[in-house]
Amino acid sequence: MLGPSGCGKTTLLRLVAGLAAPEEGTIAIAGRDVTRVPPHRRNVGVVFQSYALFPHLTVAGNVAFGLSVRGRPREEIDRAVKRTLSLVRLEHLGARRVSALSGGQQQRVALARALAVGPEVLLFDEALSALDRNLREEMQVELQRLLREIGATAIFVTHDQDEALTMSDRIAVMNGGRIEQLADPKTLYERPATLFTLGFVGQSTRLRGTVAEAGDGMVAVDTAVGRVAAVGSYRAGSSVVVATRPEHLRVVAELAGHEGAEHARNSVDGRIRAVIFQGSRSRIEVAAGDQILLAEAPGRIASELNPGDAARLVWPVTETFAYPDPEARA
Amino acid sequence: MTARLAVGFAWLAALAAVLFLLVPLLTVAAASFSPTPVFDLPLDGASLRWYARIATLDGFWPALSLSLQIALLSTAIALVIGTLAAIAIVRGRLPGAEALATALVSPLMMPGLVLGIALLQYFRAMGFTATWSALLLAHLVVTLPYVARTMIAGLALFDFTLVEAARTLGCTYAGAILRVMVPALAPSFLTAGLFSFLASFDNYPVSIFLTDVRTKTLPIKMLQYIEEAPDPTLAALSTLILAATVILLVASDRLIGLHRMAGTSE
Repeated sequence: MLGPSGCGKTTLLRLVAGLAAPEEGTIAIAGRDVTRVPPHRRNVGVVFQSYALFPHLTVAGNVAFGLSVRGRPREEIDRAVKRTLSLVRLEHLGARRVSALSGGQQQRVALARALAVGPEVLLFDEALSALDRNLREEMQVELQRLLREIGATAIFVTHDQDEALTMSDRIAVMNGGRIEQLADPKTLYERPATLFTLGFVGQSTRLRGTVAEAGDGMVAVDTAVGRVAAVGSYRAGSSVVVATRPEHLRVVAELAGHEGAEHARNSVDGRIRAVIFQGSRSRIEVAAGDQILLAEAPGRIASELNPGDAARLVWPVTETFAYPDPEARA
Repeated sequence: MTARLAVGFAWLAALAAVLFLLVPLLTVAAASFSPTPVFDLPLDGASLRWYARIATLDGFWPALSLSLQIALLSTAIALVIGTLAAIAIVRGRLPGAEALATALVSPLMMPGLVLGIALLQYFRAMGFTATWSALLLAHLVVTLPYVARTMIAGLALFDFTLVEAARTLGCTYAGAILRVMVPALAPSFLTAGLFSFLASFDNYPVSIFLTDVRTKTLPIKMLQYIEEAPDPTLAALSTLILAATVILLVASDRLIGLHRMAGTSE
């Protein structure tokens, strides 16, 4: 579940865990309706943002907690603790106090504690956001390995799009308490269903305009920088926003003549406003009329571009999408 | 150089303050071993005769028993009520929680005499004359602020996500409180209980208004003894109370210290 803070993703997670109750609707885990089941009988594992490790218990004591509450026999608990700790590679730290561990280690103890009870669903509430960048990326890889190994269903709550794209099979983009789109990462990125998803996941170039011609799932839109063709079904005269991902915009040296929307690609002429170096690639801002268009180029090409140069941007029509303009009345 | 001088002066001042506080206590302890019936420093030999006499003091055992009963009971009740009130104040999102917290702690700032007179009049007006119960209630007023103050501070630092974590791991709500919150707050409970017990045990100004001829707490009885017969028996008794307090404090410090090591501090 991906979304900005305050969008309701943590609330949804708490509903699944049973820590909050829904006013309406049902929650089912593996087909079983658990809407009225209290958290201690839901069999979910939660890894909290603050880890919420029990400070009065050792690492092993934390991991054993769920099983000892369930009144399992001592030998079974010991075996489960050993197995789970080795799963998160902390078998040598069982006797430690949790306060003596590093952030990454505490994170793994929290995970082991949630795993030890054999939950049907694992819930992660911003579980990686407290770690520094390198450790976070390391944990992302390790978590993926682990979750594959035990074959558990996991729900992550995050506001970090990179984390969501890296870790997930499916992403629910949330906004204002609603799910904007539920899709696999590739679809989400390449075919964002709403303007919000487009803006929240990745960068985009957008132009506001009015549909001039429509038909066959395509629209021709008049914008401030000329006619642009896009995928979408709208009636002529509708206000829309056409958008595409910056990596689809190619900067070409300006040619004579201006064709506007050709049959397979859109093109816009403008002037380079800025070239922003970002390592392997550069971000290029092109001013056309009063609009700023965002393009991306590999460093080799970007190094030949200078602010102030005239440039033409071209991009495929099939990567251009039209969305209803949220600021216009339908 | 001036900084060093200042530090040296501060050390001296601290030393003087410590001496000023400790010397009377040490004098009492020394006087308790006096072989003569004079309340004086024993210069020619030591004796334990005054310790032996404590037990024979008129009304000593009932007074000690009453003080212990009242102190232990009022502390126990204050711990329960004070903790629940602290939870409500810290977690309840009550309107005016801040004011409630101040009100709860306010008897701490009230002179004991005022509190004593007020309670006496209040109990009279209600026709509440049972001395023992009146004492217990009054001491609850004395001890509750200590518990409330300590528990509010402790709970403000307590991460309630721990309770939620315990619930998702299989605890009922009550189970989570008992298995996670209580042990995590053990140092706060110990501190609150200790201060509350001591505040009740040596309370004089509130008790004096509520005791009768037969029912007297130890501090009141002690003042009576010293008025009647100022011999070193009182010094011996004071020394015993002092020793018991020191043992209690050291034991608690060791306990809290152990918990600190377990990472439950703050």
